[in-house]
Amino acid sequence: MRRLPAVVAPIIACAAALILLPTGLAGSSADPGITATTIVLGGTSPLTGPAAAYASVARGAKAYLDSVNARGGVARRTFEYKIVDDAYNPAQTVQATRQLVESDNVFAVFNSLGTEHNQAIRDYLNQAKVPHLFVATGATTFGRDAARYPWTIGFQPSYQAEGLVYGRYLGQTRRGARIAVLYQNDDYGRDLLAGLKRGIARSTARVVAEETYDVTAPDVQSQIAQLKASRANVLAIFGTPKFAIQSYVFANRLNWRPLIVNNSVSGASNIMLLASEGGKNKAVNGSITLNFLKDPTDPRWRRDAGMRQYRSIMSRYAKGANVRDVYHVYGMAVAYETVSLFRRLGANPTRAGLMARARSITSAGNPFLLPGVTVKTGRRDGFPIQQGQLQRWRGGKWVPFGGLWSSNRL
Amino acid sequence: MTPRQKQLVGFVAFAAFVVVVALLPAFISAFRAQQFAFVGIYLIALLGLNILTGYTGQISLGHGAFMAVGGYTTALLMVGNEQFGQTGALAIEGGMKDVWTIPIAGLVAGLVGLAFGFPALRLSGLYLALATFAVAVATPSAAKRFQEFTGGGSGINLFGVPELTAGLTPVEIFGRELAFNDWLYYLCWTVALVLFAGAWLILRGRTGRAFRAVRDSETAAVSSGVSLARYKILAFGISAAYAGVAGSLYTIAITFVNPDTFPIALSIFLLVGVVVGGLGQLGGLVFGAIFIHFMQIEWAQQMDAVVPDFLPIIGDIDTDTPGAPALAFGAVLILLMFFLPNGVGGIFRRAGQALTSWRYSRGA
Repeated sequence: MRRLPAVVAPIIACAAALILLPTGLAGSSADPGITATTIVLGGTSPLTGPAAAYASVARGAKAYLDSVNARGGVARRTFEYKIVDDAYNPAQTVQATRQLVESDNVFAVFNSLGTEHNQAIRDYLNQAKVPHLFVATGATTFGRDAARYPWTIGFQPSYQAEGLVYGRYLGQTRRGARIAVLYQNDDYGRDLLAGLKRGIARSTARVVAEETYDVTAPDVQSQIAQLKASRANVLAIFGTPKFAIQSYVFANRLNWRPLIVNNSVSGASNIMLLASEGGKNKAVNGSITLNFLKDPTDPRWRRDAGMRQYRSIMSRYAKGANVRDVYHVYGMAVAYETVSLFRRLGANPTRAGLMARARSITSAGNPFLLPGVTVKTGRRDGFPIQQGQLQRWRGGKWVPFGGLWSSNRL
Repeated sequence: MTPRQKQLVGFVAFAAFVVVVALLPAFISAFRAQQFAFVGIYLIALLGLNILTGYTGQISLGHGAFMAVGGYTTALLMVGNEQFGQTGALAIEGGMKDVWTIPIAGLVAGLVGLAFGFPALRLSGLYLALATFAVAVATPSAAKRFQEFTGGGSGINLFGVPELTAGLTPVEIFGRELAFNDWLYYLCWTVALVLFAGAWLILRGRTGRAFRAVRDSETAAVSSGVSLARYKILAFGISAAYAGVAGSLYTIAITFVNPDTFPIALSIFLLVGVVVGGLGQLGGLVFGAIFIHFMQIEWAQQMDAVVPDFLPIIGDIDTDTPGAPALAFGAVLILLMFFLPNGVGGIFRRAGQALTSWRYSRGA
């Protein structure tokens, strides 16, 4: 008994679509996941497990897509967004993604979260020619290796770019800064550190101490003590929220008050508030971070049209979710760009067409990103967002300063 | 039924099972075939754990670690560690075809298990469980620490390497073409069935009797001349070898290995699978494997559809809520332990006993 394996069908369909593409797309699309009335997207998210805080990314995106569906969708098609839990375990990501591609027949894999998780599925998706769209991780490889992985594209500023901005800022404003770095022992932490080192390369600032930790570590107390002993006057925290909070707490306990540079992954207001221990921990004051999203707790955006839209979408399509969680804003920002892509695709979307458009985005005015931040990709630019604004923690909230930094112009 | 008749029933059941396994892919979708391949992988791991826990009475909460040893061995033998900058004496070249790495992975894991058996001699019960749990907890960190061997947090990617027999293109075997999913399915189940038969042979012989003696009463075992040390260490070694083979197949199946692919939760799930399948019997283990594989991914997602809405708390849970699948898993597990304390294997045993007593109660 011979059956055509399920995977061969989408490949043949893609090949057929690619042949038809230059002659204009006559008739309906041959790609799976597209019917006359729906577009099926799928992605993995850590709904359970150690990184469950990041599930808000998928939830925010889903809420936005639901709101678009309520207004009729795009080209008379509504979005069906399947979120599958991978418990932040790459093995589960692989199995869940195969399920989405082979069993649920999604049009594109969208907004999957995690560095190693996306690395684990990148080869498979590229070989199967399934769009691996807007991966929710800033690891530099997803933008840099576009030639080798044409079906994969990231979204947020790369971690190296972020580190570069911090390095440039410190080099320009703190002569002779002695920087101590706590970084997570994986590509995310190492990317940030590499960017920082590049940023201070032509200045008098120096990295005088580096300490690393594993995600499975219970705490980072000894690392902070070591870093303090180096007598640095700047501390760079390149770690995830749990460890960032601990760093603030331990630095405070050791009476260490360096200038603290916190990375954007751990820079959300609710995390800073936890770190400030109800106001008792003064080590948070003066912290710097890079930001590209509108933070829902920032009073600047109280009357902002984009954030009003955010709040109304959250109250209608994500009841019970924490509106103050900035990861929801990220999810909406990426969903907004995705919907724009599909609007540009028109009546007959194809997978190849989607990736072609994704590699030629010029979009401004995303209501969920900071004003002035543009989303741009091109043949030699695989990083959609490369801008951010520095902000300083003062009086229990982030106060922005200076203009937008563009990492591609540094 | 006489023991001989029971054994005959066992053979027939096994033969029927082999036939079902061989023919199943023709009736199910390619994706389901891949899912059942994972069931086969879990079955191998559960066989090993059952030998150790069910038959020898030594608790192990660390079998995920032995799976990791097998998985990393396979990955290193296939692609080597030169990409991580390791040169000189500790460099591994790679280049071995994936199927040949499976027995080697089992062997390496078995040796690690034997080595672990020695300190385990001094521990029993709760303390042994803690010690094995410590191994499971330490393994992801150890894998990250020895980056030159394991690739650290990013792990080792096996997709598309030439040593992998099957990618997205079909495989040629005995003149027939097999898609990746079917190839994986048949590979895993061939190994699983062979190892199942192997486990049965070990357990029905002298070694198996010694294992049971160690489990039932160590004092009695010693007084009967059964060397505790030898059989405990042997049990660890064999069960670790099984887990190593399972880990090796797991890595081939997901074409990727990193410290998070064998997390602590896996070790616990394996123990859950053995308990659900039935400690001390081989027959129900397939159900244990099915349980832990499908419960983790699929059924938990569909809990919403299955649980009626009028139930007080459980009925309200939306499967999208974080934690809901875990809640479902826990609830089903508690129910199973309540109604089937001896696992599925216990049902088979009770059925066997009922038939025996029926046989002997008929007539005078």
